Amino acid sequence: MNDHVLLLPILIPLVAGVITLLLRPREAIALAATAFTLVLAVFLYNHDKTFSVAWAGFGMEFLLRLYHFSSFILLAATGFSLLVVLYCCSFMRDSKHPNQFYSYLLITLAFVNGAVLADNLVLMLFFWEGLLVTLFGMIALGGREGFKTATKALIIVGISDLCLMVGIGLAGHLAGTATMSKMSLPMTPLASLAFVFMMIGAISKAGSMPFHTWIPDAAVSAPLPFMAFLPASLEKLLGIYLLARISLDLFQLSAGSWISVTMMIIGSLTILLAVMMALVQKDYKKLLSYHAISQVGYMVLGIGTCVPIGIGGGLFHMINHALYKSCLFLTGGSVEKQTGTTRLEDLGGLARKMPVTFACFVIAACAISGVPPLNGFFSKELVYAGALERGSIYYIAAVLGSFFTAASFLKLGHAAYFGKQTEASKNVKEAPWPMLVPMIVIASICVLFGLYHQLPLNEFIRPILGEQRLAAQESSGNEMLIIVTVIVLALALLHHLVAAKTMGGGLHASDHIRHAPVLTKIYDHADKGRLDPYNLALAIIRGISNLAYRFDRAVDSLYNGLSVRLAYTLSRGISLAHTGNYSLYVVWALLGVAMVLAFMRMSLWQG
Amino acid sequence: MITTTHWVLLGALVAGAVWTVLTARLLRSAVGLAITSAILAILMFQLASPLAAVFELSVCAGLISAIFVSTISMTHRVTAEDLAIRLKERLHWFWLLPLILLAAGAALISVHFVLDIRPPAPPAENDVRIVLWKIRHLDLLGQIAILLAGAFGVVALFKEWKDE
Amino acid sequence: MLSLLLLLPLLIVMILNLPLGRFRSLGFWVALVLSLVQAYTVLFAPAALSGNHDVLGRLFSLGLATDNLSRVLLLSISIVTFASLLVGRQTIREEKQRINFANLVLIAMTGMNGTVLLTDLFSLYVFLEVSAVASFILIAMKRDLNALEGAFKYIVLSAVATILMLSSLAVLLLISGSTSFAAVGSAIKAEGRSPLVVFAVAMFLCGLFIKGGLVPFHGWLPGAYSAAPPAVSILLAGIITKVSGIYALIRLATSVLGPSNSINALLMIVGTISILVGALAALGQTDLKRMLAYSSISQVGYIILGLGCGTDLGIAGAIFHLFNHSIFKSLLFVNSAAIEEQLGTTDMSQMGGLGSRMPVTNVTSLIAFLSTAGLPPLSGFWSKLMIVVALWQSSHGGYAVLAVLASVLTLAYLLTMQRRVFFGILTDRWANVQEAGFGITLPATVLALITVGVGVAFPLMFNSFLLPVASFLK
Repeated sequence: MNDHVLLLPILIPLVAGVITLLLRPREAIALAATAFTLVLAVFLYNHDKTFSVAWAGFGMEFLLRLYHFSSFILLAATGFSLLVVLYCCSFMRDSKHPNQFYSYLLITLAFVNGAVLADNLVLMLFFWEGLLVTLFGMIALGGREGFKTATKALIIVGISDLCLMVGIGLAGHLAGTATMSKMSLPMTPLASLAFVFMMIGAISKAGSMPFHTWIPDAAVSAPLPFMAFLPASLEKLLGIYLLARISLDLFQLSAGSWISVTMMIIGSLTILLAVMMALVQKDYKKLLSYHAISQVGYMVLGIGTCVPIGIGGGLFHMINHALYKSCLFLTGGSVEKQTGTTRLEDLGGLARKMPVTFACFVIAACAISGVPPLNGFFSKELVYAGALERGSIYYIAAVLGSFFTAASFLKLGHAAYFGKQTEASKNVKEAPWPMLVPMIVIASICVLFGLYHQLPLNEFIRPILGEQRLAAQESSGNEMLIIVTVIVLALALLHHLVAAKTMGGGLHASDHIRHAPVLTKIYDHADKGRLDPYNLALAIIRGISNLAYRFDRAVDSLYNGLSVRLAYTLSRGISLAHTGNYSLYVVWALLGVAMVLAFMRMSLWQG
Repeated sequence: MITTTHWVLLGALVAGAVWTVLTARLLRSAVGLAITSAILAILMFQLASPLAAVFELSVCAGLISAIFVSTISMTHRVTAEDLAIRLKERLHWFWLLPLILLAAGAALISVHFVLDIRPPAPPAENDVRIVLWKIRHLDLLGQIAILLAGAFGVVALFKEWKDE
Repeated sequence: MLSLLLLLPLLIVMILNLPLGRFRSLGFWVALVLSLVQAYTVLFAPAALSGNHDVLGRLFSLGLATDNLSRVLLLSISIVTFASLLVGRQTIREEKQRINFANLVLIAMTGMNGTVLLTDLFSLYVFLEVSAVASFILIAMKRDLNALEGAFKYIVLSAVATILMLSSLAVLLLISGSTSFAAVGSAIKAEGRSPLVVFAVAMFLCGLFIKGGLVPFHGWLPGAYSAAPPAVSILLAGIITKVSGIYALIRLATSVLGPSNSINALLMIVGTISILVGALAALGQTDLKRMLAYSSISQVGYIILGLGCGTDLGIAGAIFHLFNHSIFKSLLFVNSAAIEEQLGTTDMSQMGGLGSRMPVTNVTSLIAFLSTAGLPPLSGFWSKLMIVVALWQSSHGGYAVLAVLASVLTLAYLLTMQRRVFFGILTDRWANVQEAGFGITLPATVLALITVGVGVAFPLMFNSFLLPVASFLK
């Protein structure tokens, strides 16, 4: 088979993206393009191919490489795209700019495929930066507020992309090549710096703290399929893919290095802080978006452990998370589409009205909380095992995260699907089938990957880790961990039941945490956006620009006071001197002659 | 060589110029100018510079006659009282003249302004007619143009004005 | 055919005024055609101007010569004369006055062409007087008090200039025995240290400063420019003072005096004073034409500053600015003619919002003022840039900074002008003002196109035309 075929996963969505911008049956075009790409991805799965064209020179080569890892991400990304497009067929029907949305979506897919297939760091960066544009475009579709959020996202992601660029430059300089498959750098101090820069790029794409703050904002204003598509699935895939690549291949990262510890700390903090924020949200989409951040923590933690079982867990969690989180966002989309709101206060009793959506929600929520025997359970167990191997503190953080995850989804499910019916949920019908099918498909994959968890582990994860043995059997056999997990989940349920009863209703089940003595102040600050690094940076910049403005005013008043006034004073003086009396002018001219003569005489003496 | 004749002529020149400026009757002023310029021309001939003398005569004749004839035709007579007042005013200014001259002379001496160039002897055959007709064609052309312009000036400024 | 440039206008004036019949009314058209022919010859048939070997030239032995500098000036003369004639036809109502105007323009053209072409210092003086006498009468043609006063001031200060130049000529003739450029030049080289020669040169320079209207010799200029009829203002500001003052200075400095530090220093000081005083004075004016007159002083200062710099680039910049200035300043005066014609006043404080009523005037004035202020890519920008760069390169950084600062002043007063006249709200008084006639908008458009075209084509001209101009002079 010709190696040119590697161009197709990039070109097909790209061309289709341009066409949808212009031509009418855009749903059909988008569906056909993604379906065809999916078929191609299935077909290409687990092949080894490279495609190379001389490009810009200076080590920048148009080099695509297909192997098991990239083919797997390709498959996953294309699959999610197809489902999201299918979902959009009914969700986006009444939106304002469907052509732009489909176009951005397809071009995003093309860029993601390109970034995944690229075997040259510069080429990868090219596609990676391209995503910035479509990201901006998609968020900006959300109107005025959306534009603000889009700007925020653009700045945050842009800065971290800049870090990635620096990292790539450093790494390329150290390795003497920009070809990823030829790179294997020992961890010298400079290489560590390169790693940190590239890591910042990777985890910020995945949406880890502290680069996350645009995601909850986007959840409110951007079109909902966007959330399922980008922050929940494709960006996670891409970010974690790069993180895994740099940890596994590009750098010789060892367990116990300070970088590994840093990554684990970031992971743990992300898990805990984001889930604490998620717990107190009163909005369906916003709550989910904080979980999208929190779950990244598990992946970063898993990969940061630098032990095979942890890395495997992290990668498995990546694919699992993409599944259940997109499923959750899609259920959120259905609810929004049918009821017109995502505020939990206005929702309630939807379980009866939308049974299929509810079923999918239950499966996905159980999966994210790590309820056995669903897929989330197994990946989390692997991460736990890896974390425990490096230190019990990380394990405790991860388990605590699980507790709060479970608690928050109990709250969400309770508030949205049970309880009293509200104005908004009274006359609700089940969502149409193009919206249901993707949810059902994803939910069933969740169940499938849970029941037959060896299948994805052996098929996807093991080849990535290479010959290293994945101790899946041992981990699942570690009864202690499973028992702890089950106890934690039971505690979460208990906590929810008690809290719901005392606080009055599922919605308020987490209020006691919100109003806990110390936490309440932190939450207050967080609500006002004071803990958002973006806002902090903005405040600092505003301070500086304020200072600059003051300085500018001072200079300006100096300018006004001195030069302009001086100019006009002189001007007035000169005008007064021109009396119109010709004899005066003759006197001037004669004085001028005298001065010229004197000047010439002087210069004659000197020269 | 500067002789007594030259000094006498120079004195006459200055006197003529002062009278030209001081007199309050335009016609007299014009005559004064003509006399002054004639004395100047004689002085120049005396100083062995016939070229300069010719230029002085031709330019004064061409330009100044046109301007003055035109200007005088615009004026009206003034009364004797007015005349006296104006004369007084002008004299008032000219008290300063000797002082200015003295100051200028002192300044010139103080900067060692000395006429130390020997004029080259003018070629013998350069008499006025030869100068005008054989060497200075271009200047002649210029003077014709000036006369034409002067004529147009009289026509444009005065003749048609009087027609109105 | 060089002598025809002088003889033809003069001859035409004579023939037209023979008492033969109705030829007189043809004067205007003949003058117009003559200006076009001159422009055409300079641009497309330069070979015709190269030699002095035609029959007429031999017959009269006029001693004319051309180089690139005089060609540039011949082109400017023809363009500005063309514009002035068209505007004159539009603005001068009486038939007789129009005929006189055309004839006087022809005489002025003789004077200017002669000034540009001749090679003799005394002839230079004579031809300066030709254009001067023509312009006295042109200024006074309106015959109101202001016009007569303006002309009178010009006459008085010109007389001072005459005295200075003639005295100087007398001394120079004494030492060199001839007044041709070459003879005077070599005599000055030989006797250059003598105080008398230095005084003679300084006095001649002062005479030219008066003719060119440089500060502090400029007293006559604002009155003369603003009191003259619109068409005459164009001719006067655009070309007559430029030829009789500035061209003569450039010619004197380059062809007669040669490089001299003290003269260059003098030129730079006078240039800078003119730039600053002109710009500052322009800032405070409320009369449009008076403001343009002061602006003219300031721009002439730039030319002299570039000339005083003494380097090839500086002189090329000065010549280029001279050409550009004659184009855009004429354009501004054409615009002021349009306003004076349509509104009957040039008081800017009474205007406002005319841009909507007079679109052509508005746009062309905008182009001209941006070019004057030196904004890229218009022609004025490049010539000012050349002058500033030349100053910088010859380590006259202080002058360069002053020149750039004065550029800001230029922008300030011209922006004030544009805002007061064309922008803002249209007052009821001018609600029915119409765009000026074809005779004014046509030259305005042509001049604006030249300004833009020269600016855009500058990179093409720089190496092939502008630098050779300067090096030729050395």
